[in-house]
Amino acid sequence: MQEWFESVAASFERAFITGDRWKIYLAGLGITVEVSFFAAILGLLIGTLLAFMKMSVGKDGRRTPWSIIANIYIDIIRGTPVVLQLLIMYFIVFTFSRNAVMIAIITFGINSGAYVAEIVRAGVLAVDKGQTEAGRSLGLSQAQTMLYIVIPQAVKNILPPMGNEFIILLKETAIVGYVGLTDLTRAANQVSSRTYEPFMPLIGAAIIYFSMIKVLTILLGKLERKLRASDNR
Amino acid sequence: MIIVENLHKTFPTTDNHVLRGISCHITAGEKIVVVGPSGSGKSTFLRCLNLLEQPSEGKIWFDGTEITDPQTDVNHVRTRMGMVFQQFNLFNNLTVIANIMLAPVKLKIMSKSEAEANAMKLLERVDLLDKRDSYPSQLSGGQKQRIAIVRTLAMNPQVILFDEPTSSLDPEMVGEVLEVMKDLAESGMTMVVVTHEMGFAREVGTRIMFMDEGKIVEENPPSSFFGNPESVRLQEFLSKVL
Ligand SMILES: Nc1ncnc2c1ncn2[C@@H]1O[C@H](COP(=O)(O)OP(=O)(O)OP(=O)(O)O)[C@@H](O)[C@H]1O
Ligand SMILES: [Mg+2]
Repeated sequence: MQEWFESVAASFERAFITGDRWKIYLAGLGITVEVSFFAAILGLLIGTLLAFMKMSVGKDGRRTPWSIIANIYIDIIRGTPVVLQLLIMYFIVFTFSRNAVMIAIITFGINSGAYVAEIVRAGVLAVDKGQTEAGRSLGLSQAQTMLYIVIPQAVKNILPPMGNEFIILLKETAIVGYVGLTDLTRAANQVSSRTYEPFMPLIGAAIIYFSMIKVLTILLGKLERKLRASDNR
Repeated sequence: MIIVENLHKTFPTTDNHVLRGISCHITAGEKIVVVGPSGSGKSTFLRCLNLLEQPSEGKIWFDGTEITDPQTDVNHVRTRMGMVFQQFNLFNNLTVIANIMLAPVKLKIMSKSEAEANAMKLLERVDLLDKRDSYPSQLSGGQKQRIAIVRTLAMNPQVILFDEPTSSLDPEMVGEVLEVMKDLAESGMTMVVVTHEMGFAREVGTRIMFMDEGKIVEENPPSSFFGNPESVRLQEFLSKVL
């Protein structure tokens, strides 16, 4: 028993302490958070734009070119693996730049945008049509009605799935090693190939991801409950 | 005040020819009541008047302006033409007072303080001053509809369109809403009301229109409308609802 405990402690030391290896994980975590965070913001902007493009209708009630473009974008992004999108961006589109962090942020932003677009669209469409009609019947413009009435109500529908989308994004960035970035996952992998002991580094990284996501989930749950409470105050 | 000429409406999605040539003349101060069987196009007619539905054919004039002209500023027309909905449609994200103040303030018709003073006066008129900071979800159906009426009044409209304003209310709340509408009628407001409340039609209406299959089949003042219906279809309809 004592022996076992000592061997675990030793392998823990080799995985995290020796040669200040914890710094590798920390740097990796930094990359993971940086890419996820900025990609999420970019995704939110792109997704919102796409959602409104997709919802636009012409005077004759038909779909606009904007909505067709948005549809094609969403189709392509959802129909291809994100790893491939990242490789295409790094090796074909952005050959002039080797700033892998930026390229990863752009790729994940573009990718997430397609999913966010559907979330935003569903959130806006879930607001009762009567709300828009009442706004328009008072003489408010389409834009004013959106801004003061529909969007504030849509935000409540949008926030919870948006949190989920961010959690997915955070985990998906684990592939940025493909373009040479050392994120948390790759950091763990590097250490394990140096110590020939995969257990501690890989399980350690998993625990870090899990804890971040657990905290996010709890915060989201709180937010959701708060939003629901304000519905029937 | 409102002139409708040969109004047709076909919904492109279903190819449903709902309005089949409606013409009428509504003068200031009239209280028009529109009745008819379900699906006859009453709501569609009302919604064409403020262009919530785009007419497929025909012309509508409001106060001398042809509002079906594509050049007309529809938003401006709607500021002078209120609408009250069956489902109330109060803005769920805003308090009662904010519901009433939103349009006058955002459309720069009144300053914030003017709009607030006006809203308070209107709330007092429907006896709901104590609800000024409540959210719609905290109100009863009757209260919601009275607020919705006040919200359109805050724009100082020249005419108010009502689409079955009491149809989704519990029976005990119908009276309080009809009371507000009667007050409004007495104050001289021009009103077009779609309703199944025949008592209200008889008491308040100056002219009653019977719609069936997308047409105005018969229109008369209440006395002859109810006392002496000419068409067979109206006679059948009245025998069912009275
Ligand atoms: N947006 C729409 N798209 C397609 N068809 C519609 C639309 N709105 C209404 N209709 C159809 O038009 C017809 C008339 O509807 P409308 O709502 O004007 O009738 P109504 O007289 O108000 O009936 P009710 O008394 O039930 O309210 C119905 O057959 C309805 O299905
Ligand atoms: Mg109707």
